Amino acid sequence: MKPDWTELVRERLALPCTEDVVSELASHLEEIYADACARGTSDTDAIRIALEQVGDWQVLGGEIARTKSEEESMNDGTMNNRTKTVLLPAIAVLFGVGLMLLFVDRAAILPRVVWFVCIALLLCAAASEANRLNLRTKSLWLPGFVSLTAASVLMFAEEFILVHDPSFYFTDISLRPSHLISGLPRWFYIVWLLVQVPCGALGAFLSRRSGGTRVLRIVAGAFPALTMFFLCGLLIPISAFFEHNTFALSHPSGLALGVLIWAAVPAVAMLLGAAPFLKESTLPIA
Amino acid sequence: MTKRISSTIARGSGELAILSLLAEQPLYGFEIARQIGQRTGGALQFTLASLYPLLYEMEKRGWVEGHWQANQAGRDRRYYRLTTAGRKQLAPLREEWRSFFQALDSLAGVSHA
Repeated sequence: MKPDWTELVRERLALPCTEDVVSELASHLEEIYADACARGTSDTDAIRIALEQVGDWQVLGGEIARTKSEEESMNDGTMNNRTKTVLLPAIAVLFGVGLMLLFVDRAAILPRVVWFVCIALLLCAAASEANRLNLRTKSLWLPGFVSLTAASVLMFAEEFILVHDPSFYFTDISLRPSHLISGLPRWFYIVWLLVQVPCGALGAFLSRRSGGTRVLRIVAGAFPALTMFFLCGLLIPISAFFEHNTFALSHPSGLALGVLIWAAVPAVAMLLGAAPFLKESTLPIA
Repeated sequence: MTKRISSTIARGSGELAILSLLAEQPLYGFEIARQIGQRTGGALQFTLASLYPLLYEMEKRGWVEGHWQANQAGRDRRYYRLTTAGRKQLAPLREEWRSFFQALDSLAGVSHA
């Protein structure tokens, strides 16, 4: 059966492309399909030959969106007004305020709130200038850092709501596994795992919206877990080695458990959240 | 049989290939890809995914412009033609590639014996 190429392109690109682009790409695929059929190729093979011309629809969509969006915003090459007059001044002021608060009271909640707001505004500024970013930045780094910020904010909220105890140090869980099956640490960890699911979903969703490939969507979704892996699996052991930290070096099982608890298991939770945004669309046949 | 050139090199030379073809006559996307493949004996091949981002980029720069036109069978095709800016771009691009091949030849001896 002959495919409805226009509908197929519109669905697979999944981007706000103009009808001109959709029609042109559909027309090209139809020519390849017709050409293959005219050479005696079977219908199924002709469709396959046509679709092989595209490879990754998300990459193509991203490249076209980038070209077209730059085309639309080819103004004087300066930042847009919102970034210039609102976001950057707000970031500069909050950064200064946050630093001052750190000196005033290092354990206070307010500096952390200011810090999170500052990062959120920075991400908003980056999103406002999305037209200037390349595809990898838009579909990997930006969604990844949004996901990481969301995970950090939710962890802070959880500490604030559940714990209320400044002496509670959550990474102790990996050094004292018995904490995982009793009392506050258990609830803290379970709730923390649950909140990783929407964080993974958010990263993968934003990556897909920006034209990220499936691999980029997975990485963006699991970005907070990858950061924790970098911290627990690489940074802490390396710094322990160079600082001759005998306690950390004599407890390798604690480090391994740290990787498992703070990186591997949350990665699974994040990928569960990301899963709905990893699917490719199906081939519509007219 | 001509050896197919890697996509990275093909992509780099794409602007020159497209401008050269359109300097002769207006063509639509499928025909541009087909003619590049035919004329280079299959060494340069553009897929849909490599051709259109490049065409749109060239259109954005004002080197080519597209317009819809129906053929005799009633099928709409978007034909691209070279603009004045694109025509001006062709000679320096040819010169740039000529210098590039000469430089590569003196370095790595890549020209025909």
